[in-house]
Amino acid sequence: MKRWMCMNCGYVYDESQGDPLGGIAPGTPWEEIPDDWKCPDCGSLKSEFEMVEL
Amino acid sequence: MKTAAVMPTLKDFDDQAFDVFAANRSFSGDTPDPYPLIHQKHAEASVHAGSYFSLFNDQPDVFDLAGFSQYMVFGYDNVTRILLDQETFTNHEVFQHFVGRTFGRSVTAMDAPEHTRFRRIFQQAFLPQIVGKWGQTFVEPVVNRLMDRFMHRGEAELIHEFTHLYPFQVIYSQLGLDEEQGPIVQRLAEAQLLNMIGLPQGVEAATKLGEFFEEVIAIRRAEPGEDLISHLANLEVAGERLPDDVLIGFFRQLMNAGGDTTYRSTSNLLVALLRNPDQLEAVRRDRTLIAKTIEEALRWEVPILRGWRYVNRDVEIDGFLVPEGAVVNTIRGSANRDPAKYEDPDRFDIFREHPVRPIPFSIGPHVCIGQHLARLEMTRALNAILDRLHNLRLDPDHPAPYPVGHDARVPEEIHVKFDVA
Repeated sequence: MKRWMCMNCGYVYDESQGDPLGGIAPGTPWEEIPDDWKCPDCGSLKSEFEMVEL
Repeated sequence: MKTAAVMPTLKDFDDQAFDVFAANRSFSGDTPDPYPLIHQKHAEASVHAGSYFSLFNDQPDVFDLAGFSQYMVFGYDNVTRILLDQETFTNHEVFQHFVGRTFGRSVTAMDAPEHTRFRRIFQQAFLPQIVGKWGQTFVEPVVNRLMDRFMHRGEAELIHEFTHLYPFQVIYSQLGLDEEQGPIVQRLAEAQLLNMIGLPQGVEAATKLGEFFEEVIAIRRAEPGEDLISHLANLEVAGERLPDDVLIGFFRQLMNAGGDTTYRSTSNLLVALLRNPDQLEAVRRDRTLIAKTIEEALRWEVPILRGWRYVNRDVEIDGFLVPEGAVVNTIRGSANRDPAKYEDPDRFDIFREHPVRPIPFSIGPHVCIGQHLARLEMTRALNAILDRLHNLRLDPDHPAPYPVGHDARVPEEIHVKFDVA
């Protein structure tokens, strides 16, 4: 299973759950997340995420 | 696991009678419950002059001694705002007087861009897909070995026989250290932060661990194994190895942060479930509840109740002016039990929804590097206990356990009984 992960802290973005507290509805594809969205755990920018195999 | 054969000898305290565990209790206090006072202060104001420690004793802490003005900041929104704003609230100026004196060149005592660079390298070794593999290789063997020692008795004291041992033994395995030196490693690791209250054994412990790791790093470079020290000591980033002082600082901190906080968090998790047998039974029957159970336990008893930041410009926090040059004590215990965020916040309830993300491992650029390992260890430990200790219950012949302390809380003993098959 491949997921987008923050390389600064290891937070994993799960499309099915989204990030409701960060304004991202469940089911939101990674590509549709705004560029100014930040990692909920460490505050890193979306650009700091990488696709990884879990 | 293949590790280098040679192992230097770790020196114990010069005063071998020094009781590090008693000293740690004095460090964290014996307050049965600091939360009523935290709630009271928060209700009065979001920001108070003084340090968090000053609420519980009249001894100056290391930041008072360094001449800082201190302020306490309460409430989820205020605490998270500070921890996420690394331009206004920085680490080096404050932590150089604390963890900088013991761990040395620790990532905790760094700011961006130096912090970003080193943190990312260390985090690579602790990403979820990496630590996920350690559950079977490192955590389960330790957990099962410790439980095998008391399984036949039908009773146990889970702090001294289990929770206070397993996270440290997991780290020894990861680092490929000699298990016979484990007790000394643990004593020194747990003593390192005692410089916070001015005890010289804090620096002594850090010095001895530093000399030890310096030798181990040299050995693992000459003869690498498959352990974490070998991996990090030989890792090249942009054609350069990590500096020895940064590596030593990391390993010193790993012994403390990785061992001590997991021991406390697992203990508090067990207390919460044993005091709520209906919830214990629910999670025993339905293991899909384990993740929520651990998150709720970490919210209910945050591993460390406070954290510090240096204020590098005059700043307003919830209407209060905090001057440049001050130290803010962010009260995570207040954030995770903020009544504006969590209904009946002092109640442990594995079925509650968290309307905001609890911050047991902090938040922001310095969020705990080892949080994924801590959750994995707690998950494996809880699963093993639920699987192997049938009809687990508190021992009525001993006082019911409760966490004590105002900083890093933990019960002194957890006496339990269970059925022997």
